Amino acid sequence: MTTEQKAITINQLRKTFKTRHGFWKRTTRVTEAVQDVNFDVERGELFGLLGPNGAGKTTTVKMLATLLIPTSGTISIFGQDITQHTNEIRKRIGFTFGGARGLYGRLTASENLRYFAELYALPPEVTRKRIPELLELVGLSTRGDDKVETYSSGMQQRLHLARALLHDPELIYLDEPTVGIDPVGARELRATIKNLKAMGKTILLTTHYMAEADELCDRIAIINNGRIIALDTPSALKNRITADTVIELKTSLEHLPALKTLLDQLDPLTSVTYTQNTHEEAVSIHTVQPGTVIELLSPWLNTDLVHNMEMRNQTLEDVYINIIQGDGK
Amino acid sequence: MKTNFFRLMLRQMDVQLRMRVLSLWSLGLFITQPVIFSAVAMFLSRAAGNTNPDLIYTVIGGGIMGMWSGLVFTSTFDIRADRREGTLELIVGSPTPLRRVVGFRSLLNILAGSTSMLAAILAAVLIFDYDFSGINLPGVVLSFLLLFFGLWCMGIFLANLLAWSRLSGTFVDLLEIPVALLCGFMYPISVLPGWMQNISTIFPIRWSLEAMRDAMKGMPYNAELLTKWLIALGISLVFLLIARWLDGKVHDHIRITGELHSI
Repeated sequence: MTTEQKAITINQLRKTFKTRHGFWKRTTRVTEAVQDVNFDVERGELFGLLGPNGAGKTTTVKMLATLLIPTSGTISIFGQDITQHTNEIRKRIGFTFGGARGLYGRLTASENLRYFAELYALPPEVTRKRIPELLELVGLSTRGDDKVETYSSGMQQRLHLARALLHDPELIYLDEPTVGIDPVGARELRATIKNLKAMGKTILLTTHYMAEADELCDRIAIINNGRIIALDTPSALKNRITADTVIELKTSLEHLPALKTLLDQLDPLTSVTYTQNTHEEAVSIHTVQPGTVIELLSPWLNTDLVHNMEMRNQTLEDVYINIIQGDGK
Repeated sequence: MKTNFFRLMLRQMDVQLRMRVLSLWSLGLFITQPVIFSAVAMFLSRAAGNTNPDLIYTVIGGGIMGMWSGLVFTSTFDIRADRREGTLELIVGSPTPLRRVVGFRSLLNILAGSTSMLAAILAAVLIFDYDFSGINLPGVVLSFLLLFFGLWCMGIFLANLLAWSRLSGTFVDLLEIPVALLCGFMYPISVLPGWMQNISTIFPIRWSLEAMRDAMKGMPYNAELLTKWLIALGISLVFLLIARWLDGKVHDHIRITGELHSI
């Protein structure tokens, strides 16, 4: 596939921020927000960018949205270099950033959309048709004439999406679109994102929610400390880790030493992590031999030593934590 | 998709009016403050023994003070609010250049500020029985238009400085009173020492303001008035050209430093 056919091509992307501190003795602090990032996104693909806070997700999206200039490296959008064709690219992309910022609270949703439609130079007849359609799409058609300051954060997030879609962009960046939204609202927003993909839009999504990425994304890149540390389909990522079953259980704090002694008998390839809560300890066992673990623990089931035991398959979250922790070591 | 300037201007001014201008704060800035300025200055001037037409300094001074303060505060507030509310990056990330947005905003801010001049003149007529007979009305109107244009050019220039970095708002705030004093908003510029008068020559509003006072005192069309108009126009255009040159630099700078938003 040629570069022209790809929606996004990123080569050796790097962004460094320099901040100065002090009044008399000026010192400069250099932050490497993004370092040597490379990836491509195909047309029509829903691509996920996952990573912890401060990993470089938003900085990457802002460079893709022409809001930041890379320190080095190149970005091509539909084959056009982002620094050479900034204005042409702006007409073809739409973006939203998480949170309630980015709207005029004293204006209604329709007025906000009319204003941004003018910034994208939409003809009035297109604006008149498009605004009700988009409000319908994001489930705000009955609240279009209400001031945005009266909206919940979920409604504001949906209005952000409508704003990003005003000029019918081919490529959409959604930076943590479900952050701060209740589960029902988040599910509706995910359904809208799936619809957009079905309409042929290319979408780059950043999120903290692994289930969301697993449900929506064709491919996922995991970014940590400004570097891409894994990139694959969700299923391929899940198959990366040898342990394919997770057993979770709880124990009381006083019985924890006894349980540790018991679990020390397990195969060294089995990984056990302990998380202390207020009154109990949560234990997570990643194993390729769940039968052995069950056999070991079954005499102690429903005692103070072992309670609330559950077994499940590995999730993307397990993979994510494994990869991020592995990167930190 | 091609930008329709007129539609963009109307939409921008509509949003600006409802988001920023129509508020109690603005009422104080554009009406109450200039009326108080004019009234106090008029009392002081009369107490010093001045009569018409010298009182014209206090009338126009109150009006221009409102227009200038309005421009400085609203321009500063606009960019700061956009940074804080996250709308600055949405505007910069759209195909419409930021200069057009700030240009139309500044226009509305100065239009709103013009109510200051009206309020100051009304205060002079209704409270102090100021007599405006014998003025060179076309000269006053032309001078006012040049004053308006000069303020608009300075507004666009300042908006570029404000967009440059988060800290520049403080610098622009500090300009308010010094510029008012240097340009002799409420007194003849000739009372200032020479070096101060020299500094004030770089501000177009100093020249249009002098021309407006001369025309209000009844000065007919002559070389002196024409010279002041031409200088005011010329310096305004220089401000506009510098602002246009700065625009590209600001657009790149804020995207390098990441100064498009603040938390």
